[in-house]
Amino acid sequence: MSRTSSAADQTVSDFIARGATGPLPRHYGDALVAAARKDPRIVCLCADLPGPTETDLFQAELPDRYFEAGIAEANMIGMAAGFARMGQIPFVHSFCVFVTRRAYDQVANQVAYPKLPVKIVGFLPGLTTMLGVSHQAIDDVALMRALPNMTVIEPSGPEQLAGAVTAALETPGPVYLRLLRGDAASAGIAHKPLKRTGEVLRRGPHGTIFATGLSVAAALEAAETLGKDGREVTVVNIATLKPLDTALIVDLAKATGTVVTAENHSIIGGLGSAVAETLMEAGVPAGFARVGIRDTFAEGGTTPYLQAKYGLRAKDIVAAYGRAAAQRNAIEKGRA
Amino acid sequence: MTTTKSCADARERQPAPRITDITELKRIAQELRRQVVRLVAPTGQGYVQQGLGAADLFTAMYFSELRLDPADPAWPDRDRLLLSTAHNTAIFYATLAARGCLPEAMLADYCKDGSPLEINASERIGPLIEATCGSLGQGLSVAVGMAMALRHQKRDARVHVILGDGEMQEGQVWEAALMAGARKLSNLCLILDYNRMQVGGHVDNVVGLEPVADKFQSFGFRVETIDGNDMEAVVGAFARARAHTEAPTCIVADTLVGKGAPSLEGILGHNMKLPAELAAKALEELA
Repeated sequence: MSRTSSAADQTVSDFIARGATGPLPRHYGDALVAAARKDPRIVCLCADLPGPTETDLFQAELPDRYFEAGIAEANMIGMAAGFARMGQIPFVHSFCVFVTRRAYDQVANQVAYPKLPVKIVGFLPGLTTMLGVSHQAIDDVALMRALPNMTVIEPSGPEQLAGAVTAALETPGPVYLRLLRGDAASAGIAHKPLKRTGEVLRRGPHGTIFATGLSVAAALEAAETLGKDGREVTVVNIATLKPLDTALIVDLAKATGTVVTAENHSIIGGLGSAVAETLMEAGVPAGFARVGIRDTFAEGGTTPYLQAKYGLRAKDIVAAYGRAAAQRNAIEKGRA
Repeated sequence: MTTTKSCADARERQPAPRITDITELKRIAQELRRQVVRLVAPTGQGYVQQGLGAADLFTAMYFSELRLDPADPAWPDRDRLLLSTAHNTAIFYATLAARGCLPEAMLADYCKDGSPLEINASERIGPLIEATCGSLGQGLSVAVGMAMALRHQKRDARVHVILGDGEMQEGQVWEAALMAGARKLSNLCLILDYNRMQVGGHVDNVVGLEPVADKFQSFGFRVETIDGNDMEAVVGAFARARAHTEAPTCIVADTLVGKGAPSLEGILGHNMKLPAELAAKALEELA
């Protein structure tokens, strides 16, 4: 198309300027490059998303160890298995939804079964994208949890993205990293280690909120609200969803009696399911409620809009606490 | 990183000697065919027709083409062979055993409960099962990754992968083929065991592949179409693939199911059971 008017040019440049959000920090991408500089076994594979997966820096800095897989996730997982069998440690990248659903059988047979050190890295967890249902990973934790030998990790926020790289490397076998990019405001943020056990962020006797990923901040906010109302609750960041810190979950459920789970994922198969399974098998009769996507597909939208529409905010956690506490009271009345 | 060390290792180590005499290779293939019948006949489990058809490919591969050391199956600089379909194991295990890569005694437990010699080859057997395939269409992707890793590590080992014709219907095969061609992976050799048979019958009656040679050529492969039951042609095609440095090779190997036992030849039976009398007759024919 030929442009004849300067007004048209102006329109285009305005459009580009409006679309630009400035470069986002690369907490994950920087950490991966740093790790790869130390460990020559690390290679990076990406399914045509170097920018959105923060691997553009790897591509620029370590081009001989960056392998572009193209838009072919199933093949990328197979390739990664081939690299791993040759002694490399592949980090493979796409959006959460594609690297799990589109390549599930490949992950099962070529990565999980042989316990290969393939680190499967997804971005856009849960309801965090305007791109709509095709790009929303609401079942990825459930899928990855169900695979034997698979470790599942979701950092609480940008402060744990670098820690996620360390945790993945410290795990000898396959790992799924469920990552949300830090926004511009997170630039220069202090990094915190990512624990393999549940991390108690706040203590209180009136209940426990187990949260993961984006929901950790919401859980802390909910605890603040509850605290003002005289209900001091414990908040735990479950960054390692599998293997799960079942001992801590059982202990805190027994000690506090009321349990709420919060996750940016379907209530089916994710953290809520995992905690419920843990408590039932341990015979712990706690009041219990889950906050998560309630067995529905969603729509595209801004993250605050989606978190509100699908009930993932702090106020939703507060409401869930109310239900769980009432249930606990009913259990105790039944006992009396 | 172990690259430097293993390259030195490759120079020091002598891979097992290759057999180049075509008559001797044919004799081995015939013996392996008898072994296929013996393995499958007792239980009727396993794949006899496919094994007889692919016996020449496996013989040429393990006795003539692959650089390997049976005494050290995990030798890092070995050539890799992946069986993407994973189910054609009567011939696969018979070949590995004859080559000294598996104890012959293990064959007695083929497909028995608890035995690592399952119908679909899994890495329970050991390092010479380079990937656990069987979910069709995945082997070429792993082979592509291995070939890229070998190139990255500056090793001269090669990767061979045998695909069935039916599994060409899996989309992942073409993702992997696109990558192999785009990256000009000349250390990769794909062998299409083109026996025209899948579970639903003749491949052309399910979803035909033709013109399959043209397809691979258009994906950037150097393609040869050969009679996969002509030992001289098979050995020659492998050698030309090894010598070529510009592109991956695809050998379209026309094979005949049941080859060598006239009473079984050409019978399209994917999971054919072999009654004792038919097994005895086949063994007679293969004598």
